[in-house]
Order: sequence, then structure tokens, then C-alpha cells
Amino acid sequence: MKFAWSRRLTLIAGIVLILVTNAIALLGVAYNRSGEPESQLQLTERELPMSYGGEFASDNSGIALTLTWRVYSGKTSAASTPYYPYYVASNFGEPDWLDRSKLTELGFDVSTPLDAANAERYYEKMLPKEVLLVLEFDGPAYQAARARARRHAQSQTELMAANPGKEEFKQRADRAKQDLRGEERLGSRLFVIDAGLDATALRARYPDRGHYALVRGQIRPVLGTGAKRYLTGYVTKLSVDSINVPFAYRDVFEPFAKTNRQYQSEVDPRYETTTAFGKRLEPWIVAVGLIR
Amino acid sequence: MSSASRTDAQQRADDIRVFQRELERLERDGIVRLSDAQRHALEQHHERVLAEYARTFDIDRDTHAKQLSLGMRVASFLGALALGASVFFLFYQFWGLLPTTAQVAILLIGAIGTFLATIALQARDSTGYFTKLAAMVAFVCFVLNLAMLGQIFNITPSDKALIPWAALAFLLAYTCDLRLLLAFGILCVVAFVSARAGAWGGLYWLDFGQRPENFFPVAVLLFFFPSVISHARFTGFAAIYRVFGLLTLLLPVLVLSHWGRVSYLAVDSNVIEGSYQVLGFVVCAAAIWLGARRQWPEVVNTGVTFFVIFLYTKFFDWWWEIMPKYLFFLVVGLTAILFLFVLKRLRASGYQLFRSAV
Repeated sequence: MKFAWSRRLTLIAGIVLILVTNAIALLGVAYNRSGEPESQLQLTERELPMSYGGEFASDNSGIALTLTWRVYSGKTSAASTPYYPYYVASNFGEPDWLDRSKLTELGFDVSTPLDAANAERYYEKMLPKEVLLVLEFDGPAYQAARARARRHAQSQTELMAANPGKEEFKQRADRAKQDLRGEERLGSRLFVIDAGLDATALRARYPDRGHYALVRGQIRPVLGTGAKRYLTGYVTKLSVDSINVPFAYRDVFEPFAKTNRQYQSEVDPRYETTTAFGKRLEPWIVAVGLIR
Repeated sequence: MSSASRTDAQQRADDIRVFQRELERLERDGIVRLSDAQRHALEQHHERVLAEYARTFDIDRDTHAKQLSLGMRVASFLGALALGASVFFLFYQFWGLLPTTAQVAILLIGAIGTFLATIALQARDSTGYFTKLAAMVAFVCFVLNLAMLGQIFNITPSDKALIPWAALAFLLAYTCDLRLLLAFGILCVVAFVSARAGAWGGLYWLDFGQRPENFFPVAVLLFFFPSVISHARFTGFAAIYRVFGLLTLLLPVLVLSHWGRVSYLAVDSNVIEGSYQVLGFVVCAAAIWLGARRQWPEVVNTGVTFFVIFLYTKFFDWWWEIMPKYLFFLVVGLTAILFLFVLKRLRASGYQLFRSAV
């Protein structure tokens, strides 16, 4: 008997397809949020500023927060004097912990010798890979960045004192103070401090679930050049870096929607959140409060 | 309405028009002469057949109707895209003002509702234009459905979403005989297979476009798919598969022939670029040969177009800097004339050159 495709079968197939796809997506969400969160961080507007919204911001009624992270580059050339805060602790620096052995552990083939003739071409071709990242909140990495900003401010103040009346030194000291204030009161305290492929092993290394969150993100190896070649890398992106604000918390954020803090560098954080990361390491907002 | 029979009906109507014109000429030249009774019977028969087809399948009965149909096809294509965008922005405009359960419910109801509406409309729409509009909206609603679930619940982006999107696009395309939806389904498949190919090569899936070789496997699959599974019942589907197969192969080759550093190959960029330039010409020539042999005009045309693009980009690389501009454009013009001669000869010989080579 010849099988004939009918309109009735099309209807059934289409509805089943839509329902099953939605069910799979929603079951995944339920699984992620079931039981105790994998980690839970108390983040403020410093780590979760409101998203700008992009080109179609005026057509988008949704509110989202951007998970803002940094890496600390204390040892590499980026940390050399003169002090540039954006190189020392930003989201595009070369993390101290991302070296050859870490890249090998993450599955990158870094066996090509750095002084080989084809090394530059080989490492330039490497593209990002998705791995597990460890986010540290208000921990040693942030303290190190803050201490470095403080040392820099101190040294600039001393220089100004040693060169009285010279405008250049005064300006440098003022800038350093401004940078220190930014580090202490405005900048994100969330630092990517490690990476791996095994969530259990990473959690065993960082057991404090109130300060260390595991997330997915991408890392790209880079061949550092200069006086001597070295292998390092960049954390290029978090897989989920935008967190939707549920309708229930909309009232808290709506008044700030028109005064984006990213463009008001002098505004102290105005809200704090409890942000959970679930079994699939996907975040969601658990609680929100205003900072008085 | 059976999609195959609509195509058949249009073909029969076209044949009748051609027959009527030729009969007029033959009678004028005195080759044949029908009696009044025969002529009357023939005219009545054709009139009856055309009226029946027009009523049942909404075919184009004459050249004027055909021209209008082309306009309607363009209008329905643009309308489908615009309506899809409108639905997207409508949801975007209001979703933040709704509780999560309402957001999910609207997305789900929107996807199912527009799908049901499309199937219902298809049963009544003999032209297919309105079905195309509805199908496009249904597809956009389903894409929006999954994309917004990802945004609402902060789900990690995954290439797996491309599978159900492709499935719905194909379901609508094959059920309603819609080439636009087929194209969207094919694009989803291209993205998915290329992302998988990239992931197997160790890349993050969203970076699949940064290594153009990721597109090669799906290009081959698409090109030969209609040869494995017959698409005779569906108007133009086989041609769309083959054109997308060629585009998916030749566009990456074109990119690689100019930017060798984005290749997987760990050799000198100049070697990569040179190799892909040669490959580009070989693939284009092979496409023209195969298209001529199998009578696939779309393959011949795509092959010719890319052959010219490869040739002209090489001319530009070689001579733009060193030649006086009048000479450069003269060479380009002369090459075009040479090409015209070659193609004219091919056409005149009815592809005999290719056929005899087989």
C-alpha cells in the first residue's frame, strides 16, 4: 500500500514539532533551576549594569543586565609601568593564569614550539573554544587590582609632591585618584580566575559557592610577542552574558532605564541582586533590592 | 490542491497557447486547413480545459496574466518578509510588560496559531500567494518562540535550535509548495551542518563562519540531494537545492581564494589562495559541464556567473595597479566578448560539445 502524506498528517507533525521543542526547552530551564543552585552571588550594579539594548533599544520593552567580568593581568607585560587600569584589570587583558599548561589542559594543541618558523601562523589561526570559566566575586583578584590602583595613586601623589607647581604631575595624580575611586566603588569585582573542562574538579578547587560561580565561556590562545615569545590567551566572551529581568522585578529597574550608569561614571551602584547559577550553569535573578 | 497538478495545469495551458499560435501560422501558410466544425470543436475543448484549470488552479491563461503573476510573486515575497519582521518587532515592543507565563503562552500560541492558520489558508488559497505570506509569519513566530525562550530564561545558545527551525520550514515548504520556505529551511541546514563541522574541528559553534571550509560538506549534500530523492512533484525545488549547494561551495572558495589565512590548512597563505583560485575555476567549469549534460540551466548559470567573478577578481589582482585603466577595462570588455562567443557557440550546438565529451 502506498503511503500518502495528507494535510491532517502535516497538522499533527507541525503541532507535535512545536510542542516538543518548547517542552524540551522548558524542561531544560526547569532542570537548571531545580534544587540548590550550583552557585549564588550577591552582585550589584557594578557587576550587573543594565544592558544598553543595541540598535533597536527603543523597540524593545525588555530589560536585561550585562554580566560584567574582568581578568587580572599582574605579571604580564600589560602590567608594566606606566599604569593603565584598563590593561591591568579589564575584560580584554591577558590573564596571569592562562599559560601554556592551562591551554593544554583546555584541549588546545600548543605543541608547536614558539620559536618555530610557522609558530606565528599556527597560533594566529587558533579560534576560540568553549570551556568552563570560574568567576570570582570580590576575591583575591579584585583585591590585587585594587591594591595596584592604590599603589599607583600613592606613587603619583608622591611624584606630585616632589614636583610642586608642575601641572603635568598634578593631572597625573588627579587621574590616578579617579582611577582608584573607580576601582574601589564603581568597577566590577567579578574576575575570571580559572578555566577547565571538568565542573566537578573546578568546584572542588573553589568550594565557596557564594563567591565562585562556574559559567561557560570562550577562550582563545594568543602568541605573545615582544622581547621573548610566550603563550597566553584571552577570555573572549561568556556564553550567557545577558540576564533577563523578570517582570516581577521590573519596577526596581524601570526608573534607571533612562539613566544608564555605564555613561555616568560618577554614579555609585543603585541596586543589588542575588543571582543564581543553576545545574546547567545558566544564570537567573533570584532577588533584587535597592541600595539606599 | 495538489502542487504537482497545478504545475502540470500551467504547463498544459502554456502548451495550448503555443499550439494555437502555431496552428494559426500553419493555416495562414496553407499547410493544414481545419473545417469549421473541427475548429469549433478544438476551440471549445481548449476553452473548457483552460476555464477548468483557471477555476481550479488559478493558472495564468495568457501572457498578460503571467506578467501580473510575476508582480504578485514579488509582492508576496516582500510582503512575507515585511510581515515576518512586523511580528518580530510587535512582540519585542511589548514582551517586557508581560509576566513570564504570559510571555511563554503568547510565544507558544503564536507559533501554533499561525501554523494552523497557514494550513487552513492553504486549503482555500488556490493562488498560493497568501499561503506564502502566512507560512512566512508562522516560521518567524516559531523562530521568535525559541529565540525568546532563550532570552527570557538565559539559555546557553545552541546550534540545536536550527534543527526544529529547519524541520518546520521544510514541513511548510513541502506541504504548501513554497520555495521561499524551502530556502529558509536550507539556510538552517547550512548553518547547522557547518556549525557541527566546526565543532568537530574544535571551534566554538558560533565561530563556524570563520573557517569557510566548514561549508563544504553541506554544499555537497545539498547539491546531490535532489539527485538521490526525486523532487519532480515540487516546482523548482531541485533547482533551489542545486543553486544553494553551489553557492555554499563557491562563496567560501571565493573567500579562501583571497584570504588564505582563514583556512584550516596550515600552509602558507599564498599557497592556499592559489590552490583555491584553481579549485574555483575547476568547480565552475565542472558545474557548467554537468549542468549542460544534465540540462540543469540554473547550474550552468551559477557556474558561468562564478567563473566570471573568479576571472575578474583575478584580473583585478593582477592588473589593476599596473595597467592604465583604459587598458584594464578593455581587457575586461574583450574577455566578456570572448565569453559571449563561447556561450553562443555552446547554445548553437545545443551543448553538443559537452554531450560528445561524455
